[in-house]
This record gives sequence, C-alpha cells and structure tokens, in this order.
Amino acid sequence: MLILNVNELEKSYGSVRALKGVSFTVPEGSVYGILGPNGSGKTTLLSILLNVLSADKGSFEWFGNSPDHHHRKQIGALLETPNFYHYLSAEDNLRITHSISGRGSKEEIDQALQKVNLHTFRTKKFSSFSLGMKQRLAIAAALLGRPRVLVFDEPTNGLDPVGIAEIRELIIELSRKGHTVIMASHLLDEVEKVCTHVAILKLGQLMVSGPVHDVLVQEDVVELSASDNAALNKVAADFPGINNLVSSEHFVQLYFPKGEADLSRINQYFFEKGIILSHLILKRKRLEEKFFELTGNS
Amino acid sequence: MIQLLHTEWLKLRKYPAFWWLMGITFLSYPGMNGLMYAIYKGITSDKQQEGKIVSMLLGQPFAFPEVFRTVAYASSLFVFIPAILMLMQISNEFTYKTHRQNIIDGWSRRQFMTAKLMGVLLVSFVVFFVYLAVVLAIGYINTEVVQPNAWKLSYYAGLFGLQVFSQLSLAFLLGLILRRAFIALGVFIFYMLILENMLVGLMKWKANDSGRFLFLEVSDRLTPAPAFFGQLDEVAYKHSLDLVNEHVWLTILYTIVFWVAAFRIYEKRDL
Repeated sequence: MLILNVNELEKSYGSVRALKGVSFTVPEGSVYGILGPNGSGKTTLLSILLNVLSADKGSFEWFGNSPDHHHRKQIGALLETPNFYHYLSAEDNLRITHSISGRGSKEEIDQALQKVNLHTFRTKKFSSFSLGMKQRLAIAAALLGRPRVLVFDEPTNGLDPVGIAEIRELIIELSRKGHTVIMASHLLDEVEKVCTHVAILKLGQLMVSGPVHDVLVQEDVVELSASDNAALNKVAADFPGINNLVSSEHFVQLYFPKGEADLSRINQYFFEKGIILSHLILKRKRLEEKFFELTGNS
Repeated sequence: MIQLLHTEWLKLRKYPAFWWLMGITFLSYPGMNGLMYAIYKGITSDKQQEGKIVSMLLGQPFAFPEVFRTVAYASSLFVFIPAILMLMQISNEFTYKTHRQNIIDGWSRRQFMTAKLMGVLLVSFVVFFVYLAVVLAIGYINTEVVQPNAWKLSYYAGLFGLQVFSQLSLAFLLGLILRRAFIALGVFIFYMLILENMLVGLMKWKANDSGRFLFLEVSDRLTPAPAFFGQLDEVAYKHSLDLVNEHVWLTILYTIVFWVAAFRIYEKRDL
C-alpha cells in the first residue's frame, strides 16, 4: 500500500521556482529520505504535504485519498523548527498536541517524554529549554500516540552526537514496528544508515528517487590492484564489456553495467593474462558520492 | 466545538498576558465606574444650594435604570484592554509559529479560526459579565427603591456586549493581518487613540459626520453618553440616541465582515 503519492507538485515564490513538478511515491513501512542542498525545496515540499503551504500545481494523496485534516491526525510531524507555546511546560504543550490530534493519552504523554529523556523536565517551561531539548520535545510530540506516519524535517538539528545516535536508533525501531518515516536531512551518512528509500532534489527538481539500493547501484564498480598496477591498467583497458575505467595510484576501477560484474570471471581474465590480483572488490557507490554527482556540489 | 474551546482554554489558562490583562479589566471596570460614582456622590451629597442644583442637572445616572447606560459608556472607554489581549494572542501564534503546528497536528484552517472566534467570544462574555456585575453592584447600592421600570435600559447590556465583541474582533483581525505583536499593537493604539478620533472630529465638521462609519466609531455609537449630557445639547443628544438602532445593524455588519475577512485570509494564505 502507498502511504503517500506525490504527483507533479509545483510551487513558486515570486519568480523563484521552489518545486518543479516533483513526483514520487512512499510505500508503507519505508524510511524515506528526502535529500538536497539548501534551497532545493525539501522544506517547501514537506510544508505542502502538511498543509502549511499550498501548491501552485499538482496534487498528492495521503493513504490513497485526497488530503484532509483527518489524515494529518495520523501523522506525527516536525517541520523546520520546534513550534511550541513558550510559556507552557513540556507536558502542557503535549496536552495541546493531544487535544488537537486526538493522539495519545495522559500516560502516553509521560511515555513520549521518557522516550526522549525529557520526563525529568516535563514541568519546565519550553522557553527555558536548550535547542537540543526543544528538538527532543518536538520529536516526543511527533511520537505521541504512535502515529502511522512520521514526518521529520532535519530531526537531528541541535542534537549532540549521542542524541543523533539515539534518533537514528529510534527511526530504525519505528521502521521495525511498521511505521512509515519520511525525513528530510542534510546528514547523508545518517540517511544512508537508516533509509530504505531516497529522493534527491536539486533546485526544486527531483533528480532521482526509489529504493536506496536502486538509486545507489546504477553501475557495478569493481576495484582492483596488483603488484604491477601499470601492467594491470594496460590489460584492464581491453576488458570486454566495461563502461569506464578509472586509474589511481593504488587502484584501478572498472565500471560495468548494473548487475554485470562477475568477480570470478574478472579474476580468471587477469590470471590468464599473467596478472595476479592482490585486491578485488565489488564497490557500492556511497550516497555521498551519488548526492554530489547528482547535485553538482563538491 | 467543545474540543476547539477546550484546546483554546489550554492555551489561555497559563498565558501570563491573559491573566494580567483580565486582571486589569477586572480592576479597571469597577475602578473607573466606582471613581465616577464617588465623584458624583461627592458633588450631589453637598447639602448646599450648588449641590442641589448639580444633583438636579445630573439626575440619577448611577441608579436603575440609567446605570445601565452610564456604566456602558464608562466601560466602553476601556475595551482596548481586552482588545490588546486578543491582538497579542493571535500575533504570538505567528511569532512562535504555533498556529502552523496546530494545522500540522490535525486542525483544518477553518477549525483554527473557529477556535479563535470562540476565544474572542469567551473573552467578550467575561468582559460583559464584569460590566453586568458593576451595573448591578452600583445600581443596587444607589437605588433606594427598585421601581418596575428599573430594567427599562437593560438593553444597553446587549449593546455593550456587541460593542466589545466587535472591537475585539477588529483587534484580532489586525493581529492576524500584521502578525508581529509590537507592530500590530502600535498600529492599533495609534489608530484607536489618535487617528480615528482625529478623523471622527474632522469628518463631523467637514463631512456630515461620516466619521461614524469608521471601524471603531461605528460600535462606539452603541453606548452614548449618560442622559445628563443631554442638558448640554438636547438636539445632538437625541440624535445620538436615534442613531443607536442603525448602528446596531452597522456593527453587526462590520463584525461579520471582520470575521469573513479573517477566515478568508487564513484559509488562503501560506502559513
């Protein structure tokens, strides 16, 4: 089942086109990462999906239906910054979340605060919280009542390394329990560790989307080395069926069409040419490389 | 509806500005009316000839039924206090982006505005009941024998209530449009205390009193001055009383326009 279906969304701010016909789908139970450099349209996209902004063109569906406010009650969301009543305590703010969304109960408010290590500070005013505590309260509000879907915009903002690791574990745990998580992030390493699906945006345009495995593995990259890399390089250039060859001081990389690299055949080929390989691995392209390749940043 | 009001109450009940401004309202309404009453008593209790003449001129503004009109007039000068509360409450929703979170958490934009409308109604009712308590307290203290016509002017309670709701609605709309608390507050106070009074005066003189159609003046005319002002200019005073009926409809119309505009703006614009 599809949790979210986004179809040709467009949004402009004056002459700036923030989204240019973005389409993708989010399957149930996935952890869907939305990546892109600053100004790529990630927050605009999430804001439209949460009815904070309206799209100029295009449409989207939550749970297979045209969006309405009842759908948002099934979605726990943190958009941009934690938005709470500064004069109210953590507990009172979650009571408002509960009152509006109908999610959770008094006991679950306690549980949500415990989950993000804020239970001790539950009666403290939001205005007295540090940035990290505010962020954790926003995550607690999103988790309240265990919603089917969680939308996080930069969930690790303001958190220390321990906090970041905790959020990563939390997202993995939520995914295991069948929740669908949609998250926009700058932290490519984090996304690569937790996401099952990814969409990469650049200047409002969707560059690629789909399961992480498909997005990252567009080509098979085989890395080789031998005692005589110069000879290896010469022989490798004639290897049948390669798309590209890249040489460096220590390694030679052969690029094959996706799924066509056969390590035993490669090993045998070089052996028959009198070259004994000391290093032979099939490399998966890292998300960071893919991101920079698609967005043109370095 | 109950859920909307309950949520609005959760926001208000620990909002310090709410208690401060309501506290000032609770003190200023009885305080101002009590002060006027004390001055009146001071003058009219004088047994000398001058005291008797003043007493004859002023009549019984703090006894039933005139007390309904007198207290409505004096209290209308302080409607700006709860109006500031309404203005700050909505502009704080924008400053801290909490209105966005309300929408994200599952309210429709119409529900958010309906909750705010109920909040304005709630505060209007509180102000109305403070007015009523002051009327009853001063009226019973100052009326030796409650006559059958004691409630003849009780419709001024309704007129005052309508005036409060209309002016609080205007303050709310201004906060919604301007979003920034201090800018909205500055504009509201400048308009209410200076600009509109200047325009009303100028238009009375130059434009056939068309200043009575200005945003606040339209409802200010619901609570004319106490009857003894009629001694100064009987024709003008009678005219102001004759206009009250027309201003009831105008105030209702203006208030509907304020809220239709508020709902439209919030439903259409990006948050």
